Amino acid sequence: MDESMEPAGRHPSGLEPPSRGRRRRGRWVVFAVVLVAVTLAASLFAFGLGRDPLVVRSALIGREAPSFDLPMLSGPGTVRLSELRGKVVVLNFWASWCTDCRIEHSALAAAWDRYRDQGVVLVGVAFEDTASSSRAFAQSLGMDWPIVSDAASRTALAYGVYGVPETFFIGPDGVVASRWVGPVPYAHLTDEITRLQAGPSA
Amino acid sequence: MRARAGALVIAVALIGAAAAIAVAAARGPSPPGTLEGRVRGIASTLRCPVCQDLSVADSPSALATQMRASIAQQLQAGRTPDEIRAGFVAAYGQWILLSPPRRGLTLVAWLIPFGLALAGLLLAVGAIRRWNRGSATSSAKPVSLAPEDRRLLDRALLAAQEDVE
Amino acid sequence: MDRLGTFALVLALGLAVYGLVASIVGVRRDRPVLVESARTSAFSLLAVVAAANGAMLAAILANDFSIAYVAENSSRATPTFFKVLSLWSADEGSLLLWNLILAGFIAAVAFRFRRRRPDTLPIAMAVMYAVQIFYLALVLGPTRPFATLATTPVDGRGPLPLLQNHPLMAVHPPFLYLGFIGFTVPFAFAMAALVSGTLSDRWIRITRRWTLAAWIFLSTGLVLGALWSYGVLGWGGYWAWDPVENVALLPWLMTTAFLHSVMIQERRGMLKIWNLSMIVGAFALTTFGTFLTRGSILSSVHAFAQSTVGPMYLGFLILVLLVGFGLVAAQAWRLRSEGRLDSALSREAAFVGNNLVLLSITFIVLLGTIFPLFVEALTNRQMTVGGPYFRETTIPFFLLLLFLMGVGPLLAWRRASVAQVRRRVTAPVVAGAAVMVVLAAAGMRNVAALAAYGLATFVLAANLGELVRGIGSFARASGRSVVAALIPSTVRNRRLFGGLVVHVGIATMAIAITTSSAFAHQTEVTLARGGLVSFQGYSLEYRGLRTIQQPQRVVREATVTVAKGGRALGSLTPSLNEYPASTDPIGSPSIHYGVLRDLYSSLVGFDATGGEATFRFFLNPGVFWLWVGGAIVVLGGLLAAWPARRRRTAAAAPAPVPGQLASVG
Repeated sequence: MDESMEPAGRHPSGLEPPSRGRRRRGRWVVFAVVLVAVTLAASLFAFGLGRDPLVVRSALIGREAPSFDLPMLSGPGTVRLSELRGKVVVLNFWASWCTDCRIEHSALAAAWDRYRDQGVVLVGVAFEDTASSSRAFAQSLGMDWPIVSDAASRTALAYGVYGVPETFFIGPDGVVASRWVGPVPYAHLTDEITRLQAGPSA
Repeated sequence: MRARAGALVIAVALIGAAAAIAVAAARGPSPPGTLEGRVRGIASTLRCPVCQDLSVADSPSALATQMRASIAQQLQAGRTPDEIRAGFVAAYGQWILLSPPRRGLTLVAWLIPFGLALAGLLLAVGAIRRWNRGSATSSAKPVSLAPEDRRLLDRALLAAQEDVE
Repeated sequence: MDRLGTFALVLALGLAVYGLVASIVGVRRDRPVLVESARTSAFSLLAVVAAANGAMLAAILANDFSIAYVAENSSRATPTFFKVLSLWSADEGSLLLWNLILAGFIAAVAFRFRRRRPDTLPIAMAVMYAVQIFYLALVLGPTRPFATLATTPVDGRGPLPLLQNHPLMAVHPPFLYLGFIGFTVPFAFAMAALVSGTLSDRWIRITRRWTLAAWIFLSTGLVLGALWSYGVLGWGGYWAWDPVENVALLPWLMTTAFLHSVMIQERRGMLKIWNLSMIVGAFALTTFGTFLTRGSILSSVHAFAQSTVGPMYLGFLILVLLVGFGLVAAQAWRLRSEGRLDSALSREAAFVGNNLVLLSITFIVLLGTIFPLFVEALTNRQMTVGGPYFRETTIPFFLLLLFLMGVGPLLAWRRASVAQVRRRVTAPVVAGAAVMVVLAAAGMRNVAALAAYGLATFVLAANLGELVRGIGSFARASGRSVVAALIPSTVRNRRLFGGLVVHVGIATMAIAITTSSAFAHQTEVTLARGGLVSFQGYSLEYRGLRTIQQPQRVVREATVTVAKGGRALGSLTPSLNEYPASTDPIGSPSIHYGVLRDLYSSLVGFDATGGEATFRFFLNPGVFWLWVGGAIVVLGGLLAAWPARRRRTAAAAPAPVPGQLASVG
């Protein structure tokens, strides 16, 4: 028995569809609800499309940089954050197995050359790497700024590192100003450094 | 008689089941005991930063292993699980927690399931009341009808109710 | 090869456009010839899309690295088996497969209805052609598989290591796609029915069967995914509540709800709007799933590489939602309920409960998956919603679902008498309660696990009992023995028995999930060569590390001998596989499968010489029954879906729908 409700003749049950007016009004209400719901969902998803889901914002911005006291990768001595107060500190996490770290090397080297005598310190921290591999990597690229090793990743964990390369910019007042995830461009290095040299970490 | 016995058996069974639940609940969750167990308890609430959607407890990555070592160290130094978690949140942000905190905006995520359960319960109770009212007025035994006739009867009843409403 | 492939795709697009236009024009201008040509063009469409896939496959096998996709996903060293798999291992290729499966379904529909064509067929085909046009536009536009490189590299990069680690990659995505794409068919018929205003019983039977087929495929795909996660990924678990896993689960949940409430519609003519909304919803959820997986909204282990197609997927999703729900709203006044629920003690009520619970779970999982996005949009803060949240919020609902699964089959339609229910429910309740009492007495502390075991026992007893009862009454009625009645009664009651078998499978899976979640043990240990560790009664000794050169990778395999109570049980060989294109090695776990428990090992790291190695060992009880339960669920679904031999008369139809005249049916 075909259940077509098209009123072609009398339906056996004698049922009539509700009055046209009531039908129309009810229909528009439901349409409106559907439209509003879809618009809200679409706006949310459009927002989602507009940002990179893989980048996590740092929780340390505007807060005091976690202190560290790390041994040099080659040779004696340690690098202590407390001793670097008053200078702009660029803290760069890298690893020998990270291809992007190779890409950003030239930018870092250029920035180091330019700012090393202007109260700026670039510190490289080896992340999740063996001593021999990181030493070889640093040597082959010619990293001539202080390189330290981070046993048990204590410092990486304290800074909320979740991948390499990551670069933190710490002002002379010891406050974390910003973090860059991925290979850091030369332009950004110069911008951040000059900004921090000018005033307090804003 | 049969009915009474049957109902009794079911009642006893249900009481037994409820007692079992009560006994288990009273025992409380098993104490983690070993350090490894306690580390895993905390690690399972934290998200592994270098993986996608694995907890620090489950992740085989090197960073997760080091996080577990750090948790173990902190536990041995006497810090509480909440303090340890807060330490990671200070470095990584709320994102490191696998479960949304039950505060502020994220409380919504916890209220929704509760709200759904409540709504379902109210729907069910309302429906049962409506049915009981309906069955009280109709005859006790359903008459056996040919399927086609039954359909016509249903439609007629529906039409009659529509007229009243 | 790339020109051939692109040409084939363009031809396919033309055919799909023709099919869409011809169907619509043919219906509106009442030109049966046009409609018929639209139907048969489905076959040419399939042939042409198959040719495009064939062209890509040929290019991969012939190492044609001038095509960007081949260069990025295959290499000379890749074994032939994995070369074939690389057809669908990345975004562009998998979309090519998606188009093929979609064209296959359209052709299947065209073939299935070549003789007795329902009135809704032309518009349904038009809708399916429209969906095909969208996916063809993707492979001809932003995600082109046949894009070429300016200079041909000597060798390709090879597939992502994770995707060539295990042969399961062969079956998990195709079954998942068969499930997702399968939902296009009921959606198309639903749209057609709404547009034309005809909502006959025939429409319901068509949609139900195709929905069941898609459901079976999706169930298989989900279980295979769990198997892959467990046996290949090496973290010791089978479900991580990853966003992409969640969106694959959502249509399954909604479709399960539909498959129950559609029975109410068939018997009582009720819940029409509800069922239509669920068909639209299931299809919308699969579209949303595609959007989430390929549109780079959320980070996930499954997410394909960053792609720029997000807006296109979003646009299509919006279209589906507006058209789908808009049509339901427009025609809702026609879909008046013909009956009413008589009693709270009835199968209808249990099914309504089933729907409410399943849809609640669907909503919770959906909300949890997009909640981070929602919070970030409102507060600019990033947060995670992971396993612990989903477990805590859905477990109570799943337990309720178990209860309904046990009690539903025991209730009669319309109005069950209290006495009848009491008779049937006594044994299962006693069984469930007995299990709980015994376990509690034995010292179990986990309340959720206790409840789960009790309810699962209740479900098993109730459903197995109904199976036995059904066979027994058939045996009595036909004068045969119970054994002789087994096959004929099953054939006569496919839908009912299939459903009962599915419940048995789900209960088995519930027991497996509870056992493996609540009672697993694990440990992480570093051993020197010759070192021994005692774990859960097993004695595990690290023997050494060896290196195996394979054409596409270097395998570093550790050998661990296993002994229990002095008896040697064999050895485990977890490995770390190093692929040339990737710096991170991929681990392969080694598992000693057992009926009661699995001994699971993964190699986490080793020092330069292999003198020391770090392992994770797991004892996972009950996982075997997860796969057994999954197989039972699929078998039950196949049983329920098995088509009847076409009959001329209405007598002895498997599903007793009243007043059904076969000539229209």
